[in-house]
Amino acid sequence: MSAVALPHPRLGQIQVRQGGALLSGVGSGPGLPVHESRYGALPRLGSAELVGLTESVRLTGRGGAGFPFARKLSAAAARRMRASVVVNLAEGEPASHKDAALVQVAPHLVLDGAAMTARALGTNDVHVVLPAGSPRLGEVVRVALVERSARRRDGRVRWQLHQAAERFVAGQSSAVLELMAGRPNLPVTSWRPSAESGHRRRPTLLSNAETFAHVGRLALLGAREYRRSGTHAEPGTTLLTLDGDGAAGRAPLVVEVALGTPWREVLTERRLSSPVLLGGYHGTWAKAGELAGLTVSLDALPASGLTLGAGVVLPLEAGCPVERTSRITSYLATQSAGRCGPCFRGLPALAAALEAVSHGTGDPSELRRLGDLVEGRGACAHPDGTVRLVRSMMTAFGEELSSHALGRCTAQPTGRLGALPRTSRLEANG
Amino acid sequence: MTARLRVDWPACLARGLCFELLPEVVALDDWGYPVVGDVPPDLVETARQAVRACPQLALRLVTDGGSRVGPRNP
Repeated sequence: MSAVALPHPRLGQIQVRQGGALLSGVGSGPGLPVHESRYGALPRLGSAELVGLTESVRLTGRGGAGFPFARKLSAAAARRMRASVVVNLAEGEPASHKDAALVQVAPHLVLDGAAMTARALGTNDVHVVLPAGSPRLGEVVRVALVERSARRRDGRVRWQLHQAAERFVAGQSSAVLELMAGRPNLPVTSWRPSAESGHRRRPTLLSNAETFAHVGRLALLGAREYRRSGTHAEPGTTLLTLDGDGAAGRAPLVVEVALGTPWREVLTERRLSSPVLLGGYHGTWAKAGELAGLTVSLDALPASGLTLGAGVVLPLEAGCPVERTSRITSYLATQSAGRCGPCFRGLPALAAALEAVSHGTGDPSELRRLGDLVEGRGACAHPDGTVRLVRSMMTAFGEELSSHALGRCTAQPTGRLGALPRTSRLEANG
Repeated sequence: MTARLRVDWPACLARGLCFELLPEVVALDDWGYPVVGDVPPDLVETARQAVRACPQLALRLVTDGGSRVGPRNP
């Protein structure tokens, strides 16, 4: 099993391990000739056919929300208007590198998925939203598009590229649509789902880059081949980013894992016995040892109050999960777009309350009160995701919270609250 | 048909007129922003007034399906 190292502007490099499906091309290079020899020409599918195909494998979005792709596609197709397709490569979660890795290893899988979806919807309007701070990704996508054009792979599809801003909420759907409309890349209230009315009030199918790669692979190889990995109930694979924040001096690692794989096969004993933040900064905490008995499953993890989210896996091998959550929440508060009162007032209040709790001077019930107040009262999912993180900390680390209230921290060797080593290189830059 | 209030958060400036007109349904949070919810049938007309009164046009009355409840809708 080979791996490739890709350069990363702030973290030096990210490692990408060869996978069974999306990442099977690690080592063969991202070029179109290799892709074509492997997958053939772009198939033509109608919308009903593509809906049926994606529904048969229960394909859900890989951007964090996990929305069923078939439902989104149906909604867009039902409008019977000229649609737009948007590949969201903004990857707002700082500890997520899977989309960047995927696009560098297999750009044509992502672009095939998007082009096919466009053709299924009877449109030629496709957009790719690139993340900020990564000129290399823009280069990779441009080169791939030039290759496709030269070989006329996409027929009449016309591609447009956009560059997201450098902020956490840049990848939120409404913020992406604003960017495409030539306005600041910030969230606005969405009165209708974008699949019904999005870009230029047209049905807009906006999905994460990895989601489109799954669509691509599914349509190119068929459902039977797609079902070779995963389980009967959850076929396929998913991409995960391990150590995405560069903690403990390790390079982030992107891996492809079949759904249903036990976490024991993904993480070392040491990591499994630590608390693990799953999903991203908008994710959920697994207690120390909790993942040992669980699988990488979009269905089963929610039953334990956990979410796979954007596939971010951050084991906390040293330090205190309460203190870590406090730092992440403070960061998330700085990342409010500043547009919605309950968010730009509420998140800093929540962060301050959590900081106080972490220092042993605050009341956890205030965290609950502020969480309830802030949740659902904003134009985008930023306040909701932040509340999810804080609530899961309260659920998973009740004992640690009680200790902090007594001025002690169980994660510290001395048992006393005090300055803890920095564990992430990402939050300090805000 | 259940009617409920929805706030266009980027437009809301916590002016508080909705709370003044409809305290039965609208509460204010720590920072003066409205906490809204379902509107009982006997208060729908007052809710419409609150929607019209908002200086920022930040308030909407919607049905379960999400469509707007206008003056002509039942």
